[in-house]
Amino acid sequence: MIEFKNFSFKYKKSEKNALSGVNLSIKKGDFIGIIGNSGAGKSTFTYAINGVIPHHFEGDFYGEVIVKGSDTVDSSPSELSLNVGSVFQDIDGQMVSSVVEDEILFGLENFGIPHDEIEQRVTDILKMVGIEDLRYRNISTLSGGQKQKVAISAVVALMPDILVLDEPTAELDPQSSLQIFNMLRMLNEKMGITIIVVEQKIMLLSEFAKRLLIINDGSIYLDGAPQEVLKDTVALKQIGVNCPRVASLANNLSERKIYNGAVPINIVEAETMVRSVIK
Amino acid sequence: MIKFSNVCFAYEKTNILDNINFSINKGEFVAIVGRNGAGKTTLMKLFNGLLKPTSGNVNIANLDTKISKTSELAKHVGFLFQNPDRQICQNTVKAEIAFGLKCVLTDKGEIEKRCKDTMARFGLIGEKDPFSLSRGERQKVALASIIALSPKILVLDEPTTGLDYKECMHIMEIINELNQNGTTVIMVCHDMELVADFAQRVIVLGEGNILADASCKKVMVDADVLRSASLAPPQIAELAIRLGEDFEGILTLDEMTDKIESRCLS
Repeated sequence: MIEFKNFSFKYKKSEKNALSGVNLSIKKGDFIGIIGNSGAGKSTFTYAINGVIPHHFEGDFYGEVIVKGSDTVDSSPSELSLNVGSVFQDIDGQMVSSVVEDEILFGLENFGIPHDEIEQRVTDILKMVGIEDLRYRNISTLSGGQKQKVAISAVVALMPDILVLDEPTAELDPQSSLQIFNMLRMLNEKMGITIIVVEQKIMLLSEFAKRLLIINDGSIYLDGAPQEVLKDTVALKQIGVNCPRVASLANNLSERKIYNGAVPINIVEAETMVRSVIK
Repeated sequence: MIKFSNVCFAYEKTNILDNINFSINKGEFVAIVGRNGAGKTTLMKLFNGLLKPTSGNVNIANLDTKISKTSELAKHVGFLFQNPDRQICQNTVKAEIAFGLKCVLTDKGEIEKRCKDTMARFGLIGEKDPFSLSRGERQKVALASIIALSPKILVLDEPTTGLDYKECMHIMEIINELNQNGTTVIMVCHDMELVADFAQRVIVLGEGNILADASCKKVMVDADVLRSASLAPPQIAELAIRLGEDFEGILTLDEMTDKIESRCLS
């Protein structure tokens, strides 16, 4: 679905590459979580997929990024945005309408979806996401979590194959953050949308992502299933990326020579670990 | 030091806070938690007189906020907004830090010295334009400009929102150090791991009421209160509950590590 071949990018006026030597492929239907420090290159990675690079930001582009068989450099931004839906961190910044229904209609009308299909699409997406009751609400009266659901719905109504999200829960409380991730899981499982999400809340990523990328200082530092990646607590600590507390606990215990088995990433596994070492 | 007595607050006809009562002593580190819309930010704005109670009284360092000027209160209370961009108003980092100092000091040498000390403490470069920095760096600039004034009370509205883990820990270490040196800290925070690591006391807000006001250890294991405020306990606290009575009250990674070690040795 997405191929990075020797991809590097340097922003105009910048002295060093924002990302260097990225080689990886992303399968259809995957759910990819991305974490790393700010300035590490996470947003650049998402921009390479949705075509913001090189179509919006200028710079030196090396290698290739292929999305659904087309080179992003040769595809127009509008072609790309039909395949790749994008959701940004700043919720208010991407809203264009004052009423929920209009926000969903905006994309559909702009992409020339046939008129007799539009009503069905709006009804379907609101129902699927469970926000039918918000249809006629004024967006300014919604909570942060509700607004983010509307923003994602407006993008998903266009039926993209890929959804790219840059820290969609940054401004949300734990409950709303969980709801957004449940929504992403549903879109991934029911509609087969490939999800690529940058997120700082490691607990959400460890629970929802099928594959985890850790980006550090402009390169892919770790890449694998969350269970594998999060076990490398020493490597994570070195670059200052958070890992679940129970994984750090295993690390502490191994430093004190109490435990040297598998690293737990959830509470149940942690309980088993502790019970195996205490008297 | 801080006293809220029968405080109610309403925006026009919508009640946000309903009969809030609590006191905070000098040197405490209090976390205020609750879901979005619980009234946390409104409560914070009552601390420095940005909002005045609709009824009841807020007393800060012996000043009644209803009749005191916000500029007078600002000498005692440093206030960090959730979004640093609502706070930063100067073109360089140094000018931003000097901005508040110039309002309270006249001695140019003293202003210069405090600017320098503060920038060194936060690892900031004075000539930079704050808006060319990352969100985390801007948050640091906003915090630095407040700390430069050495307020006795620090009110922080979600100081770590939008920061990566490294930046988050750096900010929290600075806040913790100030608290160790006697600054009273009141912080709204969604991250229960951070609350467990740093706060001594937790006030839980829900629908404009105080649902709980107790030590961090007590609140973090109170499943009913946490559920009613839609909060999840920190992972280590949850693990401690599953491990049974002997692990009661353990909240942090270090406590848990020590406890397990002692159980292995005994």
